Amino acid sequence: MTRPFRIGLLRLSDSAPVMIAHNTGFFAQYGLETELVVSPSWANIADGLVWKTLDAAIMFAPLAMMTSLGRRGHMSALKPLKTLSYGGNTVILRGNNPFTGLWPAGEEGREVFEKWRATIGRRPKLSVVHMYSTHFLILKRFLLSIGVNMEHDVEIQVMPPPDIIQALIEGAVDGGCVGPPWGTEACLRGLAFLAGGSETVMPHHIEKQLVVPETVYGNQHTCHALVRALEDAMIPLHAPENRRAIAHDLSRSLEKKGLNLPQEATFRTLSGDKIAEKTYYARSSGETENVTWMLDDMLGLDWINKKEHDALKAEWTIPVSGVPSTKVEVLK
Amino acid sequence: MDKPFAPSARAPINVLVADANPRRAKALSDTLRADSSLHVQSVPVGMSLIDAVHQYYPDVVLVDMARADRDALDSVRALSAPALERPIALFVDEDDVNLMETAFDTGVCSYNVLDAPPDDVKPLLRAAIALYARFQRTRAELNAAQQEIEERKIIDQAKKLFMKNEKTNEMQAYRWFRGRAMQTSQRIVTIAMQYLAAQQKSDSP
Repeated sequence: MTRPFRIGLLRLSDSAPVMIAHNTGFFAQYGLETELVVSPSWANIADGLVWKTLDAAIMFAPLAMMTSLGRRGHMSALKPLKTLSYGGNTVILRGNNPFTGLWPAGEEGREVFEKWRATIGRRPKLSVVHMYSTHFLILKRFLLSIGVNMEHDVEIQVMPPPDIIQALIEGAVDGGCVGPPWGTEACLRGLAFLAGGSETVMPHHIEKQLVVPETVYGNQHTCHALVRALEDAMIPLHAPENRRAIAHDLSRSLEKKGLNLPQEATFRTLSGDKIAEKTYYARSSGETENVTWMLDDMLGLDWINKKEHDALKAEWTIPVSGVPSTKVEVLK
Repeated sequence: MDKPFAPSARAPINVLVADANPRRAKALSDTLRADSSLHVQSVPVGMSLIDAVHQYYPDVVLVDMARADRDALDSVRALSAPALERPIALFVDEDDVNLMETAFDTGVCSYNVLDAPPDDVKPLLRAAIALYARFQRTRAELNAAQQEIEERKIIDQAKKLFMKNEKTNEMQAYRWFRGRAMQTSQRIVTIAMQYLAAQQKSDSP
């Protein structure tokens, strides 16, 4: 009995390329019958790939790398197949901004942080979406840029992205680094303000990729279909006139093939403004991805050693679409 | 219920059940409590998993994978040392891939203190898998039952309409639908839906 090709994703606006490719029938067009598995958390996505309940997933590189190294348990090689998006992560903080706009780096930023912390009245609790996330690395860099020590000055919590809204309402967290559109949604609801994010810390950093287990990576036909379908799905994402319609589609319920996302916040992540970090969707190009910064950070955190650092660098410095072009040509 | 756990002379194992489904949580806790070598607790409603782990010091945590807050447990090892005095991690039996795949497929996993021996963990995980599978089946049966009710409603509706339109009794109406179904190798409910749709079309201006 064959089952559809299962792709795991979370309720995030940068899941858009896969949603579009599935809903518009691009995967089907390339002969791939797909099923989307909207998952409650990143751990589920990683476990799904390791224990074969998923055939592919949208993921950020650090989690895929750490899973490949067996740091989450069973060692299971995961490969980046195609880059989907860059940037888009927001650093949001509870309450009112004691500064006008994004926080400056250095001494001045530290002063603003102290002013803000005084209004919180405790060691700030900041959330990230998973330990092994770009969000953790971005937040660490952001705090470092204003002279705040992540280990001592704040308390780090982990929660899936959509949960931050309720956590802010309940006062369970004081902010965090979260993916689109949840940070923007928190700002729109007046729960938090944007202090920084991808653009401030590491502009245009690689964010989401389509990741597949090694067994799927070995299947040229499937990889080819996935990459082509996702390339097609990028086209509507690059046309500004489609933004409203895309945000509307993503705001539909899961039953209606949406992701149940807040529509206005989602719309803003497509263009970017003062409360929304813009998500840049990948364009086809001959360039290779830069993962050095995150590997350096991961080395600095002792997540990986130097040997693993170098091996991962070789493996993850890939073209935007990870299937080597010769393979694709063989298939025609 | 057969008893899956060998009696043990050692200190009781502290098991924390973290299940978003309260009925299943209770069923699993009850099953485990049948073994006196286990000390079983449940994550109270509204308490986060990580807080519960801090509070109850479990040796083993059986986690419903639908719980989004299990990501917090995923991070315990990487978080700074004082986060947990006894670090716990996702349980993986490298020699029993089958068990692991079944567990994740049924939607349950286990986190343990790092030095917990697999002999302690596997029976617990097996019990959880069995229970989750039973709940899954029950839900599938429930869905099937609901679908059947829905289908019967549709057939009834179509029959009534047919009786009115064709001035027949119920048996004749039923025979007509059954006949059509047999002729076209389709299900009666499909024919009924087609009939209703066609009627709707001809009713609309």
